[in-house]
Parts: sequence; C-alpha cells; structure tokens
Amino acid sequence: MPQPLKVLLVDDEIVRAAMVEEALANEGHEVICRLQAPTSLNEMVARHQPDVVIIDMESPDRDTLDSMSLLNRENPRPVVFFADQHDPETMQAALKSGVSAYVVDGLVPGRVKAVMEVAIARFESFQSMRRELDQARTQLAERKRIERAKGLLMKHQDCDEPQAYRMLRKLAMDRGQRIGDVANNVIDILEQLEKGR
Amino acid sequence: MSAPRTPELERLTLGFIPLLDAALPIIAREAGFFTDEGLEVALSRENAWSTLRDKVASGLLDGAHMLSPLPLAMSLGLSRAPCETLAPFILGRGGNTIVLSRRWSEGMDDIVEDRDPRDNARRFAARLHDHRGRPPRLAMVYPYSCQHYQLREWLASADINIEHQVVLGALPPPRMVEALENDEIDGFCVGEPWGSLARYRDVGRVVASGAQLWPAHPEKVLGVTASWALRYPATLAALIRALHKAGQWLGASPDHARRALGWLELPPYLDRSIEHLESLAPDAPPAWQCLVGDPRPTAEIMSHVAEHLDQHMRESGRVLDMRTLSTCYSPAHFDAATHQ
Repeated sequence: MPQPLKVLLVDDEIVRAAMVEEALANEGHEVICRLQAPTSLNEMVARHQPDVVIIDMESPDRDTLDSMSLLNRENPRPVVFFADQHDPETMQAALKSGVSAYVVDGLVPGRVKAVMEVAIARFESFQSMRRELDQARTQLAERKRIERAKGLLMKHQDCDEPQAYRMLRKLAMDRGQRIGDVANNVIDILEQLEKGR
Repeated sequence: MSAPRTPELERLTLGFIPLLDAALPIIAREAGFFTDEGLEVALSRENAWSTLRDKVASGLLDGAHMLSPLPLAMSLGLSRAPCETLAPFILGRGGNTIVLSRRWSEGMDDIVEDRDPRDNARRFAARLHDHRGRPPRLAMVYPYSCQHYQLREWLASADINIEHQVVLGALPPPRMVEALENDEIDGFCVGEPWGSLARYRDVGRVVASGAQLWPAHPEKVLGVTASWALRYPATLAALIRALHKAGQWLGASPDHARRALGWLELPPYLDRSIEHLESLAPDAPPAWQCLVGDPRPTAEIMSHVAEHLDQHMRESGRVLDMRTLSTCYSPAHFDAATHQ
C-alpha cells in the first residue's frame, strides 16, 4: 500500500466534489475540500500543506495557485502538473473533463497521475449526470428561463447548446450568482437588443 | 498584389478575459469584420489566464486575447511545459492602474497628467514604515504580466521591500474590486475597466497608472501557437486583417466607440456587472488606454517585459534567448497579412 497523499480539492460543484472526495478517500488519501469557502486559497495551501491540489479547470482560483509557485519564497510551492510531455492521453482526458492538478515539488509523477485519473473519472461521470441533476434541482420556471437564455445565446453567439450553457455557468461563477438570475439578465439584454434591430 | 488566400479554417474559437482591451475581437465579430474575411469566430470567455493559456497550448482554443508577456513566457516554458507561441498583433496599449484601498490611499493624490506616480509610492512607503502587523496584500493578475512588473517597479521606485513589506498574489480581473470591498486584499494592479470600477464604487483610489510607468506599452496581444500559425497561415492572415479593420473602425468616430461599448455590455462579453461602462473614457487619465494605436508588434517595444523575464530567468540560472524573443514578437505575420 503506497503512502496516502494529502489532496486539496477546489471545486464549487458540491455534488461533484463529494464524488471525488469519496473516491479518493476510498483509495486511502486524505482529502480536504474547499467549496466556495471565504478563506483565501493561499492560506488554505499554507495551512494544510497538501501534496496535490485538484481544481476545476474553469475555476477563477487557478491564477492564484499559478502565482504561488513563483511568488512563495518558502514552501509550499504548488506547480501546475502537466502530463503532456510523457502522457498525452491523460492530459487530453484531463482537459476534456475539466480537471487541473498542482503538485508540490518532488512528488513522483506516477502517484499524481493515479490521483488525477480518479478525479478525471468522477468529473466525467458528473458531466453525464449533470443534466439530470440540474433538471431535478431546478424549478420548472427557472428551467424555462435558462432554456430561453440558452436559445438567445445560441442564436446571438452562433454556438451550440452545451457552449451556451457553459457561458451561463461561467457568468454565474464570475458573479457569484445563481444561474437562473444570470439567465434573467441575459434574456433582458438580448431581448432589448433584438427589439432594437 | 495577389488576392488573399481562402482561410484553411472557417470556424474558430478565440478565448478572452473580460477586459476593455478584448474590444477588437468583439468588434470584429459584432461588426462583421471576421465574416468579411470568411471567418466564423466564436469568442469564449475564460475565467483565468492560466486556463486560457492551457487551452491555447492544447488546441482547445485556436488563439486568444493574451497578456503581452504571456506568449513569451509560454515559449520559454515558464510555469508550464514549453509551447512556442506567437504575438502577431497588438490588441491594446496601456489601461492598467494601481489601486489602493481607501484606508491605505488616504491623503494620496489622484492621478492626473502632471503627477509623478512616485509621489504616491513614497507616501505608501512612509505609511508602510510606520505600519505594524500583517503587511498589506496586493494583487496582480498573473505572474508573467505587465501588471505584476509595473506594480513591482512602482513599489521599487520608493524603495519598498517587496519580499517583506507587502504580500503579492494573483487574482483574475473580475474578482479584484470585490476582493478589495471584502477586505481580502488592500490594493491591486489591473487593466480596465476594473481599476476605474473601484473608483466608481468608491472602494479605492487610483494611485498610479501603468501608462505613466511604461508609456504606450503593448498590454494585450493576439496569441496563437507557432504550430497553429504554421498549419493555418491564411487563417492567421485573415484574423489579423479583420482585427486591423476593427481597430481602424473603432478609431474612425466617437459614435463607433459608443457602439463598441454597447457591444461590450452584451453577455457573455463584459456584461452588466460593470455598471459604469457607459461613462467610461478609456483614453483619459488615469488609464490612458489606447485601443487604436499601431498594432504591429516588434521585439524592441517589448524591452520592459524582456528585461523582467531575463532577470527572473537569471535567478534560476537561465538567460532570455533573444531569438525566442524576436520570433515571438515578429512583425512578419502582420506585414504579410496587411501587404498582400
């Protein structure tokens, strides 16, 4: 049995984070979760000294992690993990599922890869679950507004449905708002624009 | 004169970070300059510079609105595996401001034409000298950015010890004002419209301007990987021409500038979370932002960035390779695209 690793998980998708946490804990790793906690990421990394940080690729916190490797004079200095030199397959899978990993200097790549593969698998199954989850959680009216906003975005941005949904999610993340509120805002602006044309 | 070749790619996706200097790709899309060149371009709003960087390097994005030092840092393999990247077009100059919280900026001057930004730096130094307790936290946007280097130069101009008297960190631009409001940071250096938003919401004061420290310095560029440029040369040329036309259109009349602000307000570009967008005058102090200047890159105009990167590399026993620098900021692609 290899030594367990300390993994810091940064993900604001609560359900997905729980899935990844459970899977990593089953492998014997110690997992610390950071959801939308108000604590700064710098402080969390300094306090917990994780071996690996697993983070949603779309998280705005990535730049904070990236800068730590350059700006921190002392440990810990997490460095973004790229399997692409030796292992393009894992890297592609990570990109597709939206997993980024940071490692503290000196950790064996093989051990990071094992942690990443667990995270990738959970991110992937969450992706396929998301649609059903969203439908179950979202009120009908809100869902209609999201559909309307998606439709307007698809038309205006000439994109497909998943892309339109990602835009809405990104806006919601950026602004710390619910996706339904962002949808209202999008409908408001784009409908006004259509009237003006 | 030969007719421009048909682009190899019809549809492509460019990444951007919500900032005023993402204007040219947004204009090129909304006003139809991309379409005129036979391109269908989708613009993808990204949440972090590191994510944008990784997506360009891995081919998930065809290209992106990039911090001007980023293509060089990517080519040199700083903070990720080396990926040769080019900066064939300048999307904007200036626009960065250094903002301090109301508490830290008390008694400092507003930035106008004839103010020396070092005066405020000296006041900050004096305050730091008397300060006990936790050092103030200052944010910039990314380690390899003009914001980081300008902030360092401003602090150094008053002999402030960056290692001990302040704590530096990175945050994405849309998070800055909120972080200052919530007392998570005490100041920042960021591009527009986020610096003026802090002033508009009265949570901080602009105490120095990037344009004063580095006049007319390229702030954002179009970034594409060298392998992408090699594979799709006619697409790159069409992209450059469309962006060039967008810049010329923007500079042609104040009415165009107003229409451009209207487009920037649309989701998913900058959207309405930026409530002061309509009242913005980007080219005025303290931002002195220029979106319609000469878009042609050269290695020479990147000398400030080259110096900082060289210094950084020397700390780990490397030196900046001049050939990488001149390949990265070569005007050849711009010249080829605009002179055929």
